[in-house]
Amino acid sequence: MVGKERMLTALQRREPDRVPVWEMAFNEESIIKLGAFFTDDLPPMKLVQKMTVEEKIKLLNTLFTVVRELELDGITSITLLGTEPLDEEHVKDGWGRILRISEEGEATAVGGPLSGPSDLRSIEPYHPQQTDFLMLLAAKGALGDDYAQVLVQPGPFRESWSLLGSMEKLLYYYVKAPGFVKDLARLVTDYILEVVDMAVDLGADIIALDGDLAFSQTTLMSPAQYEEYVFPFHCEITEHVHRRGKLIVKHSDGNMWPIMEGIVEAGFDGFHPVQPQCMDIGEVKARYGDRLCILGNIDCMHLLPFGSEEEVEEKVKETIRVAAPGGGYILSSSNSIHPGCRPENYLAMVKAARKYGNYPISVED
Amino acid sequence: MSELLERLKQAVMAGEEEEAASLVREALEGGLEPREIMDKALMPAMEEIGERFSRNEAFIPELIVAASAMEKGMEELKPVLSGEDKGRGLVILGTVYGDIHSIGKNLVRMCLEGAGFEVLDIGEDVRTERFVEAYREHRPDILGLSALLSSTMQRMPEVIQAVRAEDPSAVIMVGGAPVTQEFADRIGASGYAPNAFEAAVKAKELVAGKSR
Ligand code: B12
Repeated sequence: MVGKERMLTALQRREPDRVPVWEMAFNEESIIKLGAFFTDDLPPMKLVQKMTVEEKIKLLNTLFTVVRELELDGITSITLLGTEPLDEEHVKDGWGRILRISEEGEATAVGGPLSGPSDLRSIEPYHPQQTDFLMLLAAKGALGDDYAQVLVQPGPFRESWSLLGSMEKLLYYYVKAPGFVKDLARLVTDYILEVVDMAVDLGADIIALDGDLAFSQTTLMSPAQYEEYVFPFHCEITEHVHRRGKLIVKHSDGNMWPIMEGIVEAGFDGFHPVQPQCMDIGEVKARYGDRLCILGNIDCMHLLPFGSEEEVEEKVKETIRVAAPGGGYILSSSNSIHPGCRPENYLAMVKAARKYGNYPISVED
Repeated sequence: MSELLERLKQAVMAGEEEEAASLVREALEGGLEPREIMDKALMPAMEEIGERFSRNEAFIPELIVAASAMEKGMEELKPVLSGEDKGRGLVILGTVYGDIHSIGKNLVRMCLEGAGFEVLDIGEDVRTERFVEAYREHRPDILGLSALLSSTMQRMPEVIQAVRAEDPSAVIMVGGAPVTQEFADRIGASGYAPNAFEAAVKAKELVAGKSR
């Protein structure tokens, strides 16, 4: 089997020849540090927003080298909405969102083109352009058809709050202005559907719908609010992806138990990353393994940053034993390979997956 | 009058801003002391909603609208609160350097304000020197540090050291997803809380201990 087949087989909850290995994201620093194991031709250590076009290309090539050398089964691309720098710490994207950039990880919106219900009408929707998909096109060109091409796109909740520049603002309107919240979700869902279409046209096999819906304690909104403000749009998006013959995974960290039923019913093919501090993967497998592929769960909070390679191997072994039998499991970290993770530990994680992840799984207790 | 205060409390808990403001005005016109309105209606409302949040009976949106209604009520009270009434004390809050997670810290701010503290939020991705400067300038009763990454939480001891070099008796609270009581003890923090409601409870304890 090739990587793409492995990923698709697992997402359809069947057994591939071995447990697929994939990541939803690697930050710049992680790419460069992992790349250093395989090549000397590396970009300088900086944030992508601060790189020249040439350096960006080098960063992408480094990522492709890592994927190839480690024989990962899929590669993740993000859309790059031509951000323009504002100052040392902020950039502005195609929607007019102001993003705060950071060396420790992905950027977050701190200001938006929207202040509330009064100016929704005046907002100029952004439409995706082919150039936003340069990463996907480059990945397709460099790695060909053997790797699953995954495109990450924020879901309606995250797109909505980032247009307001703050999650708390959106959650305030969840109580105060239900009509506005729905109109806003409509606006961003139309955009998301356009992104899906363009991504599929350009060769994406899988969509990963980003945007956390939970934190350590519980969900960020009540289950009833999820049902009312998010679920219908999730249904629409999964249906659209399926109509285009592709598969879709929902990402959310945190304790998602209160709305897991909704995630399954909304029609997602997989759920990522089952944050181990908040959810037990064995329980997720037992309750939803017949309806969802499970992705992730290798702890990036303590284990990958501070654990030993032996501890990583042990955890991978245990996780495969619990989640892989019968298929429907894709191995990845519990969020991403962020700058805090030791590159050696990631290598150990991939190696362990190859050691214990061959079907039929025969890992002892 | 107690019926009016009860209605005010309910209005805050339901996040009804206009209603909360107008009931505060009504209470003042009726001759109630500003302190009493705070102690018997506004703060109990935030305490109750915070407690429900910490038990997963209320969710973040409900906490946010209640905090907003409390703020509207406070706006009516502020002009008539006596000059000596400094509330429970001043807290400076920020997320440590390298970390841009803001939501947890913001909820902590809301609950601290709800408990009668004055809060100066110095934002996210705050350099250690900035914490020291803010501390020096304002001499808060409590400094609160938030971190959501296991890597950035390693910067908390650095901030604690730098601030304690300025004031050895500085009271410093820490929190955020990867932070535990054990970690807080190890780095010499004065207090830890797992959520925003408990953060307010802890802060009250800490200032009470301080004045003793
Ligand atoms: C939302 C979120 C984001 C958003 C943040 C948006 C924003 N403006 O804040 C975005 C998407 C931008 C983001 C980015 C990243 N994130 Co993030 N994120 C989360 C998530 C899902 C929820 C955090 C949150 O908002 N919670 C809601 C609030 C209400 O809860 P809270 O923050 O825990 O706060 C409560 C308590 O902790 C306490 N508290 C908090 N602060 C304080 C302070 C004091 C003094 C006290 C007493 C109490 C206290 O009270 C609060 C209220 O009850 C968590 C998952 C999780 N389980 O926490 C991951 C998580 C924190 N993120 C994680 C990661 C890896 C990242 C990135 C590195 C990803 C990447 N590869 O780029 C980047 C880092 C960016 C940076 N430089 O900081 C990991 C961290 C792992 C680690 N290393 O420890 C987590 C744990 C997810 C996971 N699967 O492991 N993230």
